[in-house]
Amino acid sequence: MLQSSPFNLRRTVILIGRLVLGGIFLYAGYAKILLPNMNPHPPIKIALSLFAMQVDSYQMLPPQAVNLVAHTLPFAEIALGLLLWIGWQLRIWGTLTSLIILGFFAAVVRSYALGLQINCGCFANPEPLTISTVFRDGLLAALALVMTVFAFIEARKPHAWSAPEKT
Amino acid sequence: MMRQRILAVTLAGTLFGLCCVLLAHAEVRQSAGAVSDIDPHKAFGSKTAPVVMEVFSDFQCPACKTLYTGTNRQLMDNYVSTGKVYLIHRDFPLPMHAYSRVAARYARAAAQIGKVEPVEQALYQNQEKWEQSGDVDGTVASVLSVADMGKVRALVKGGTLEAGIDKDYALGQGYHVNQTPTSIIHSKGQTFPVVGVVSYDILHNFLDQLLSQK
Repeated sequence: MLQSSPFNLRRTVILIGRLVLGGIFLYAGYAKILLPNMNPHPPIKIALSLFAMQVDSYQMLPPQAVNLVAHTLPFAEIALGLLLWIGWQLRIWGTLTSLIILGFFAAVVRSYALGLQINCGCFANPEPLTISTVFRDGLLAALALVMTVFAFIEARKPHAWSAPEKT
Repeated sequence: MMRQRILAVTLAGTLFGLCCVLLAHAEVRQSAGAVSDIDPHKAFGSKTAPVVMEVFSDFQCPACKTLYTGTNRQLMDNYVSTGKVYLIHRDFPLPMHAYSRVAARYARAAAQIGKVEPVEQALYQNQEKWEQSGDVDGTVASVLSVADMGKVRALVKGGTLEAGIDKDYALGQGYHVNQTPTSIIHSKGQTFPVVGVVSYDILHNFLDQLLSQK
């Protein structure tokens, strides 16, 4: 691929990262708020209280912090998902996404290492926390980090299609 | 530039909305169902309570001990004895635990003579001791009278308790239980699985939301 192409390796990785992570965040937030696998669908406040129990099962936070996380994280995930898809201020939202995913990864690694028999709670479905959850979150964290670093590098370079500066 | 951003936001929002609609109509994997096979000796509270909670546990599992001592005691006092929650204890002895099935037999036998509470308490509180020694009988005997212990031993030897444990285990598998403790909470036609230890404060918030649901 030519250097001047708008789709060099860095830009392709950024695009994939935005689409994949944005889609995952959107679905994760939506699933926690609306519980699509449940019939009949419970009200949102019950869905969020149910998510609070999943957060609590990690045994990392005091009850007030558990409630705060459970009642804000799903909405933050939807907002971040949309912002990643749009691509606006990618360096800021990419950094925030990386921090959040690294937080998830740390929580999952800790729980797995402690042998906690719990559900992941990632997509509001009964998914046990196993080694594959650890690998999946690790891969997502790596993708988020690479996307963010590439976004910073790209921001320093002129756009491939922009006119060369006159000297 | 501004127009492009507005277009991008609109497009992303539309796509997300479309995904929501599609997923909301996706295959229903979880359905509310009536609670069946209730052993009245291992169920607590009012049968007409608006919330029914089935707790699948293993007497040898440390997390089950934490749930029993840290959460379920308060749950019994504040929700079960007040008629808000009907609590059902289900046996789910995991194959990796050498004595959990033996403990389940003793607890079930004690339930049949109306002594389940002191026996469950003794089994959980002395979990570290009997899981090392295997002395489930001695642990149970320490909280029962000689006459009651005789009845419990006779029931355990009778071999009739196994069917109830297997039935609970099969019920758990029906709910896709694969780890303990797992609580299945039923309310107003909805079923909520909760895996792992949940602190009383958080569970109490959830139960209050369910109870206030119209």
